[in-house]
Amino acid sequence: MMWNSIQEVFSFFFFFGRRANKTKFFFLLSFLPVIMAMVVKFDQIFSHRTGFDEMSIFSNLIMLVYLQFLILILTLFYGTSICSEEVEGKTLTYLATRPVPKSAVILGKYAGHTLLVILMVDIGVIFSFLILNVNHLLDFSIYKILLRDIGVLTLGVICYASFFTFLGTFLKKSILFGLVFSFGWENVIQYFPGSTQRFAIVHYLKSLLPYKGGKFSFLMFRLEPTRPGIAILALFLISAFFLVLACLFFSQKEYILED
Amino acid sequence: MMIREKGYTHWDGILRERRYPWWPITRLGIKLTFKRKHFKFLFFGSLVPAVAYLAGIYISERIEDFRYILRGSQRFLQINPAYFKSYFTSDFLLFMMVMILVFCGAGLISDDLKYNSLQLYFSKPLRKKDYFLGKASVIFFFLLMLTLVPGIVFFVMKLIFSGSFQFLRTYPWLLLSVIGYSALVTIFFSFYTLLISSLSKNRRYVGILIFAIYIFSDIFFGIFFGIFKNQYFSLLSLKGNLQQVGALFFGQKPPFQVPWLYSFFILLCVCFLASAILKKKIKGVEVIK
Amino acid sequence: MTAVIETRNLSKWYGNVLGLSDVSLQVEPGITGLLGPNGAGKSTFLKLITGQIKPSIGKVFIKGQRVRNNYSLFSKIGFCPEQDSFYEEITGWEFLTNLLKLYHYSPSEIKTRAEQALSIVELLKDKDRLIRAYSRGMRQRLKFAQAIAHTPEIFILDEPLNGLDPLGKRKIIRLIKDYKGEGKTIIVSSHILPEIEAMTKNIILIHQGKIFAKGDIHYIRDLIETHPHMILIKCTNPRLLASKFIHEDYVVNVNFGATADSLLVETKNRDKFFSLLPSLLIENNIEVEEITSPDDNLQAVFDYLVGK
Repeated sequence: MMWNSIQEVFSFFFFFGRRANKTKFFFLLSFLPVIMAMVVKFDQIFSHRTGFDEMSIFSNLIMLVYLQFLILILTLFYGTSICSEEVEGKTLTYLATRPVPKSAVILGKYAGHTLLVILMVDIGVIFSFLILNVNHLLDFSIYKILLRDIGVLTLGVICYASFFTFLGTFLKKSILFGLVFSFGWENVIQYFPGSTQRFAIVHYLKSLLPYKGGKFSFLMFRLEPTRPGIAILALFLISAFFLVLACLFFSQKEYILED
Repeated sequence: MMIREKGYTHWDGILRERRYPWWPITRLGIKLTFKRKHFKFLFFGSLVPAVAYLAGIYISERIEDFRYILRGSQRFLQINPAYFKSYFTSDFLLFMMVMILVFCGAGLISDDLKYNSLQLYFSKPLRKKDYFLGKASVIFFFLLMLTLVPGIVFFVMKLIFSGSFQFLRTYPWLLLSVIGYSALVTIFFSFYTLLISSLSKNRRYVGILIFAIYIFSDIFFGIFFGIFKNQYFSLLSLKGNLQQVGALFFGQKPPFQVPWLYSFFILLCVCFLASAILKKKIKGVEVIK
Repeated sequence: MTAVIETRNLSKWYGNVLGLSDVSLQVEPGITGLLGPNGAGKSTFLKLITGQIKPSIGKVFIKGQRVRNNYSLFSKIGFCPEQDSFYEEITGWEFLTNLLKLYHYSPSEIKTRAEQALSIVELLKDKDRLIRAYSRGMRQRLKFAQAIAHTPEIFILDEPLNGLDPLGKRKIIRLIKDYKGEGKTIIVSSHILPEIEAMTKNIILIHQGKIFAKGDIHYIRDLIETHPHMILIKCTNPRLLASKFIHEDYVVNVNFGATADSLLVETKNRDKFFSLLPSLLIENNIEVEEITSPDDNLQAVFDYLVGK
């Protein structure tokens, strides 16, 4: 019954999310890195630039644009909207008076929104990769890097979305706290020594990306990476923890829909 | 059949026993204390030594890196137009201004669109420019509190502490620069915020957009600059453009080797675009097809 | 008859504001009208019995089961909310079918039920329009459709006639009466007495969060009969008309209006007065423009009950 309910809620909100104007906008936003990749590639082709390291540029795109900006923005919006949009839009009534458990509503919406974000992010990443590596498409060894980066970003989306889902069920001003967390805490924490870094989701994601320095090595400032297996486990545990909390809060908390 | 008697009726319900009967009293006391005048200022002021000690712990871990900063301290403590420019164009100040815009500016027009309040506004003797000015003034207030007010306070306190008008004689135009740059950044951000606020009825979406566009423009610049090493990419960054024009206002060397006019032009274009879109978007009546 | 809905000492505070105070009642099958002015606590009561908000004190039972977080009950309940909120960027059809999916019906059954519900509320031809483009009346009908589409046993309708034209109101009222005939339980809330009167005699009067009266409407109105009823008559010759019934003992007071074409009668017995009035009008050839009862509204009933 629970699984069926989750499925039905998922299909409703995945369908709804796909049609929403906001999704179209965010889809365009997630394609900006593709445009960047096209500009870089065209410049390389027409200016015959040498010493052009496609994989380094792709890695910088992943690090700077996707990991530290795009997935944060997308998951912040979609994660917090799972609960906040229903309360602000006063449509929570329609879901709360159906024979579905409240946690199924959270999990179904979470699944729908997370899948949307994963699609937005991964399609952009794939296109950026293909454009930048158009000269090496038959070199199958490079696809390992693509798969790894897609995997890391997908994990990042799952984890951040779960945290922001919890934030949305728990706080009224979830966007503000979300921005402070994403662009304050997650950035600042990497400057702290010792185990403090492990209190940030981005630490575990960066631990999965072998980054050996380069133009933006300051981004890895004082990174004391966690072993990949443990990092993946930590990400899943964090996701599960915040999802469980979100379900609990959503089931027990009373949401007053303002008239 | 029952009719309740008129007049006062005693409540016959059963009081539920609380496990921690002292908690409501504690909660109310804390709430009332925070409502008292000047208490918040006092409370956060009293946290300053704690923050300073925390910074000390941090510095003790990073002592080698801080030797570099301490070397430049003489330069840092010279009060001149560069000092003012470094405050007004600091990344942190611009970032905080954007956060304030998210907080106070996101719902200015989007809430009116959501609740169909535009019809209420324009059924009164109110012109469109009165409406925009009213909305923009909210942003003016908060941003000028971060720019114009501190700038004037810096200037005045410098004169008071130095005990003479030498600073004014040396830099007679500085106050005008403060006013001019404060006005520019405030007006730009007002147009920017109102434009984005008019694009959606969803305040949360608008808040994210205000932040995302600002940050992403800078990331855009960072990536392209890192690859092409061409400073003209700074024109893609809203922050970069504001810093370029800020340097001009305070008579300092701009951060990028790009004519300041280009940056000013871009900021102006954003304002004109915002103005055009706002004029079209803000109507008394919405026709839904 | 066993109660379908039962509340025991139900109370709700919003901070320091009392929303509902010590409401203990039982609702049986049939139509129960919940009457009260705006802010009386009607919506609070309905939200409490549908488990959307938690009671500060007290319990709610539907069919003997507690309501809060008991999602399985909602397969038997149809709730029509008061607020005008929808997922605006989808069509009416998509809205209804997606909500029906949550009842785990098969796709064909969802289609049938959605068509049936939209047909009942006369929205079938507009089903593919975005909800954003619906008029106020269409939105209200769509709200009603989502409450009935899964053929519940219990209908909880919060101001279901808001925004409907008179014809629409009549159709919904007839539908509610049909449901009563099928043995369903319906609670309808409204602040307009004639609407409730058209549906049921069994009402609950609520004011300032308290139940002021419960039972048959005629009994309540008869009690109010101790206060004279006011009847305003606009006619061609008010003074002549007044002279014909002034000696009736149940006519307590007669006032003439500011304009010379109306009179206000206070009577202790409305029924007797109205049975006499037509014959007086015909015999004296008096043309009537309008007859109204200024105090035959919920506000007047409440005013009498609260002693204003």
